[in-house]
Amino acid sequence: MPSSHQFRSANPAETTRDSPVAASERTKSRVPARGGLLRSVSLTLLGVLALSTVAFAQPTLPRGDADAAAFRDGFLAGRVTWNEVLARAKKEGTVNWFYWGGNEVLNGWVDRFVIPEMAKLGVTMKASRIPNTRDAVDLVVADNSAGRGIGQGAVDAIWINGANTLTLGQQGALFGSFAQRLPNAKYFDFDPNSVTARLNLFDLGYPTGGRLMPWGAEQYICYIDSARLPPAKAPSEFKDLEPYVRANPGRFTYIKPPHFNGNTFVQTILYATSPDGYKSFQKDRKDFTPEEFTKLVTPGFEFLRRIEPFLLGGGGKDGQRGAPIYPENPVANQRRFSDGEVDMGCGFGLFSVPVRIASGAFPPTTQTRAFPRNGMIVGKNFIGIPNNAPHPAAALVLANFLSSPEAQISKLAIVGYPLGLELSRLEPANHEKAVAAAPKMVGATLAELGALGVPDFNASLVHLIERIWADYIERQSTRPLSQIVTAAFARQ
Amino acid sequence: MTAPIRAPAGERQTLVQRLYVPLMLSPAIGVLLVLYVGALVFAGLQSFGYAPLYGINKFPTLEYYRELFSAEGFWMSVGYTFYYAFVPTVVATALGVYLALILQKRFRGSRLLRILYKLPLMVPYLVGIGLAIVLLANGGIIARLCFALGLIESTGDFPRLISSYGGWAIMWVYVWKQLPFTTMVVFSVLIGLGRDTEEAARMLGARRSQVFWQVTMPQIMPGVVSASLIVFAFNFGSFEAPMILGASYPNTLSVEAWRAFDDANYSRRLSAMAIVMFVALVSSAILLTYITLYRRFERSRGRV
Repeated sequence: MPSSHQFRSANPAETTRDSPVAASERTKSRVPARGGLLRSVSLTLLGVLALSTVAFAQPTLPRGDADAAAFRDGFLAGRVTWNEVLARAKKEGTVNWFYWGGNEVLNGWVDRFVIPEMAKLGVTMKASRIPNTRDAVDLVVADNSAGRGIGQGAVDAIWINGANTLTLGQQGALFGSFAQRLPNAKYFDFDPNSVTARLNLFDLGYPTGGRLMPWGAEQYICYIDSARLPPAKAPSEFKDLEPYVRANPGRFTYIKPPHFNGNTFVQTILYATSPDGYKSFQKDRKDFTPEEFTKLVTPGFEFLRRIEPFLLGGGGKDGQRGAPIYPENPVANQRRFSDGEVDMGCGFGLFSVPVRIASGAFPPTTQTRAFPRNGMIVGKNFIGIPNNAPHPAAALVLANFLSSPEAQISKLAIVGYPLGLELSRLEPANHEKAVAAAPKMVGATLAELGALGVPDFNASLVHLIERIWADYIERQSTRPLSQIVTAAFARQ
Repeated sequence: MTAPIRAPAGERQTLVQRLYVPLMLSPAIGVLLVLYVGALVFAGLQSFGYAPLYGINKFPTLEYYRELFSAEGFWMSVGYTFYYAFVPTVVATALGVYLALILQKRFRGSRLLRILYKLPLMVPYLVGIGLAIVLLANGGIIARLCFALGLIESTGDFPRLISSYGGWAIMWVYVWKQLPFTTMVVFSVLIGLGRDTEEAARMLGARRSQVFWQVTMPQIMPGVVSASLIVFAFNFGSFEAPMILGASYPNTLSVEAWRAFDDANYSRRLSAMAIVMFVALVSSAILLTYITLYRRFERSRGRV
């Protein structure tokens, strides 16, 4: 076989040049250019790195535009009338509302109702639909780090609750206590001494302090297909769940943490297995020691481990875990329900069953189930205005509009999301309209479900629960639960 | 090439002449540097603990890598990533070579087949994944067909192809999308070669298998290697298919990186960057090894 090096440098120009001096001259003139290219590239890289360090180095909240800051201070002190806010909003002209865009019906409602109504007030609303509320939170945080303060940022309003509220609140990245100064605040109960106000004043235990305007309410419900699972056989108390999954292996599953739906299921189990129910979980994380917390959550997590073999994809027998399937999000969960793989599902959505039956996503025999009767988690979601909103007056006008009875009743009728304002505070005409607009419940009634509502976890405990579930259930860690809890506490 | 790139021997190059090559290359290199190398550098910095944007600055630290390598399930995730990448590559390449050889012949419907086999190339990956769910899920069309035919009694009896560690649905989607690609590459090489050498070998008395392994395969090796290289590299880093069709935990490295990144806790993003750097390193190492072995093969054939 011919050796390869004969074919290698077959360039005729090279081989016909004779003088070695000429060859060395050529290489000499080439070398500086190559070295220079490498040098300039590395210098550019270093420059980019240096600049980025500067850009990332902002520790405190930026002061922002002076005029917008003056407006904010004036409004929060009560010196600005609502007409002045409306006039300023018209001058600002635009508002950027960032909200979760995963519901097509909600998107349609926003486009066909909210945008034209805001246009009547002289404000063009730009709806930014995001796949995850955290993206808007990231944007606010990034703008703050880049030195953009009020009047200079990108996000005017966010549909927000839970852990995201905690993130912004802890950084001080919220506009200020505006909720009680809005004209439509009269439909909401903000009295700190009243029980109904708790949901408006605390978002997962974090005091909103009026920095968030309640927009909607939600309850964690379960649903069954009565054709496959007769209501008499379905679990209603928490203690019925384990016998049910043992008798029907592979016909139930829940959404996995860290999705907030999954967190809520785990929380529901923890409420049901703890002696004091929901009360034990209202304390902040710093009020717990790891040992206390371990004692509190051990029954719940051991329960979750015990039922693993009997979930969808599980081995079906004690000790045979198999490969349990935990859907990542409500859409995947509902798909398994509609496809007939599971007979029961749980998720947020007080009216989700009638809405989905109407749209054909659920079989017509689906029913809402009041499970577990020990306590179904309720909560509110809010409209938050970040500290660096570029159009603060327009954001206030938007928050006010979204909490008006017209907008709330329209949302209930078209999208099927429960009201955020207090039904008892509506005028009689609106009260009737609201009751008529609610979708017809199938299975458990609204009164039944309302009576079982319990408040959500404390927000600071949510990450702990996620980590413990991930280690103990998902990764099947062999370490004892006390060690896992201690590690979770130490993480942040 | 109209501009003078090299000065005549013995003269110093002017500034323009010296800058000519870098300037011509700068758009391509600029895009590569800023988007690829820049992203890689930032990911690397974050994986070593430098992330002031998230309020974390522990640079330089190996803590995130240490945590990653000692995590339960990380090495299983690596194993699954290799498994879901390697098997479809082998299957798609083997079937692609076979299909290309068949397409060479003329038979009834061969012209139609030459058009039809390319159809999956035009379908986006997500649509292919949706197809897999519709067909292969336990509540999907094939399962319902089996149920109607009485082969299974309930949805639980149908073998679990989706959301299982076997990853059958994932590998099915990969093969479905990549078979046309490998076939196309190998087929174009085959067409370019012509059939002379094969005919000569047959006339000299070689059996069909000898013709294939000793005459055809070495000649189409460049096509086979480049196709399988691209397919493997894609599968190794692919995200959509394992995310939607894969099991809960542990899933492939790209899915675990996304899950770490999506966590509300920002410090998990640095773990995600560590996974990303690991994937980049491992896939480059594999591809480099593959290319080196291939070059050695080519050198032994006298083609380099």
